[in-house]
Amino acid sequence: MRWVVYFFLFVLGGMMLAASFGFCPDPDEDIHFVVPPGWPQPHYDFSKNQVTKAGFNLGKRLFFDPVLSRDSSTSCASCHTQFSGFTHVDHSLSHGINGLKGTRNSLTLFNLAWGSSFMWDGGVNNLEVQPLNPITNPVEMDNKLENIVTKLNRSALYRPLFYSAFGDSLVTGQRVLKALAQFMVMLESYNSKYDKYMRHEPGGEMSEAELKGLKLFRQHCSSCHAEPLFTNGSFENNGLTVDTELNDYGRMKISRDPADSLKFKVPSLRNIVNSYPYMHDGRFGTLKQVLEHYTNGIVNSPTLARQLKKRMKLSEEDKNNIIAFLQTLSDKDFLFDGRYRNFGY
Amino acid sequence: MRNFLTFLFISLSFFCLAQDGSLKIVVEPVFDQAPLQLENKAYVDAHGDSLYIDEFKFYLSKLRFHNHEMIWGEQQSYHLVDAGDKSTQTFVIKNIPAGAYYNFTLLIGVDSMANVSGANGGDLDPVKGMYWAWNTGYIMTKLQGRSKVCKTLHHAFEFHIGGYLPPNNAARAVELYTPGLKIEAGKESVLHLKANAAEWFKNPETVDLAKMNEVNMPCKDAMRVADNYADMLSVY
Repeated sequence: MRWVVYFFLFVLGGMMLAASFGFCPDPDEDIHFVVPPGWPQPHYDFSKNQVTKAGFNLGKRLFFDPVLSRDSSTSCASCHTQFSGFTHVDHSLSHGINGLKGTRNSLTLFNLAWGSSFMWDGGVNNLEVQPLNPITNPVEMDNKLENIVTKLNRSALYRPLFYSAFGDSLVTGQRVLKALAQFMVMLESYNSKYDKYMRHEPGGEMSEAELKGLKLFRQHCSSCHAEPLFTNGSFENNGLTVDTELNDYGRMKISRDPADSLKFKVPSLRNIVNSYPYMHDGRFGTLKQVLEHYTNGIVNSPTLARQLKKRMKLSEEDKNNIIAFLQTLSDKDFLFDGRYRNFGY
Repeated sequence: MRNFLTFLFISLSFFCLAQDGSLKIVVEPVFDQAPLQLENKAYVDAHGDSLYIDEFKFYLSKLRFHNHEMIWGEQQSYHLVDAGDKSTQTFVIKNIPAGAYYNFTLLIGVDSMANVSGANGGDLDPVKGMYWAWNTGYIMTKLQGRSKVCKTLHHAFEFHIGGYLPPNNAARAVELYTPGLKIEAGKESVLHLKANAAEWFKNPETVDLAKMNEVNMPCKDAMRVADNYADMLSVY
């Protein structure tokens, strides 16, 4: 009788052990940047920051570590969660330290190597220096890069990680930012149903509604949300009413040019159904509302996008088809990619 | 012993053959004639207002030495000088070909390359606090202090000058004559510079601190201040 119990304990233990391996990062996981076939060359200069496994893992650890914030409460991942395309799902305006609210909806993070400017107003010209914004913003992490470097230099955990990533255990501001950049450029999304359809791969079979939606999309949306990135990287005024409490005039704050009034970065539409709410201030919760805006809600002004000056006419069926197509832009391989998951805490 | 002597001989002859020397540059922050004292000494600017200076920092970059035959430029030439940190006021430039150099040119500020190339290291590390996050770019120079005429919190004035995009590129080219400057092979020469904070307030435009006391983004006012301090460096 006793050996039966031992046997079951042995089997159960073995199963638990096997299961625990399943939750551990695969040591042989592939950390290589990929330029998908047919895509343009990335904008990011990899020659100055070659992605290595050690650098990627260090960047990932920093991304998930609240040590970056003044009171160790808030990490990058607090407002950029993987399953939503690395944005703050269901939050129109994101909240940071002490629950303080910002003025803009957090952006998704993927395919950043193709970006030539960052933030809704394009104020940042290089991916490596983007993290300085959430780090120093008083309503996000309210910290200073100096403090982070001091703290990490005292950390017995981090110094070996910097050593394996940079061949030197000294933590510098540059290395913190380069490691974060290595993690961020590796956030690549190119395996949605739409991508498989374009590559004629299994899993890319589109329904009739989705195909109709694609056609309508190319007719009405793709001049700004250009394939394959689903953004052309430009800044446009898409005819939203000005929120009189936020009074956010977008790009003009950076360029100080009145011609840029009310212009915001055209965001990518990849993983769009996973990354609601929408617009720079997160005012729309559903894609239906977004399409309602583009057909009936455009406010005319001198800086309104040229493409929106003529009223967009879409039937209810057209709208449903476009939404059906937009759903094909969700990339489950990316949203659930184990390489981006945080195992450290 | 013999091996050692051979080694010594070879290394000495190598030393003598070396055609390069180095130059120690010493930058002394001053206010007009007097050495600059931060925080607790009152100065008078060109407009006649009394003021205290709390912070005075600036980048010197693109250091180049000229003579009749050639121009020699330092690689990765970025130096941050901080009036509050003596160790930043002296730096050594190595491997300068021996010779007499009658002219020394540099930038006050940093070039556009540094402003667009992401996270840089050394004196350009954003950890130095000379960096704007929301609108990428280096704060090329900083002068902060207090004056009773400023109707601001704690009577503070704050000049954070930067911007690399035309028409508001705040980097200023400086040309200094160095008639006695000689670099000798294997030796270290010294060049003394003064950085005069008083020049921020005058020539071409006399600054009225009551009217202009906060500049902290690339703009026209930043250009006016940069034009003023373009002549703050001198050789002595």
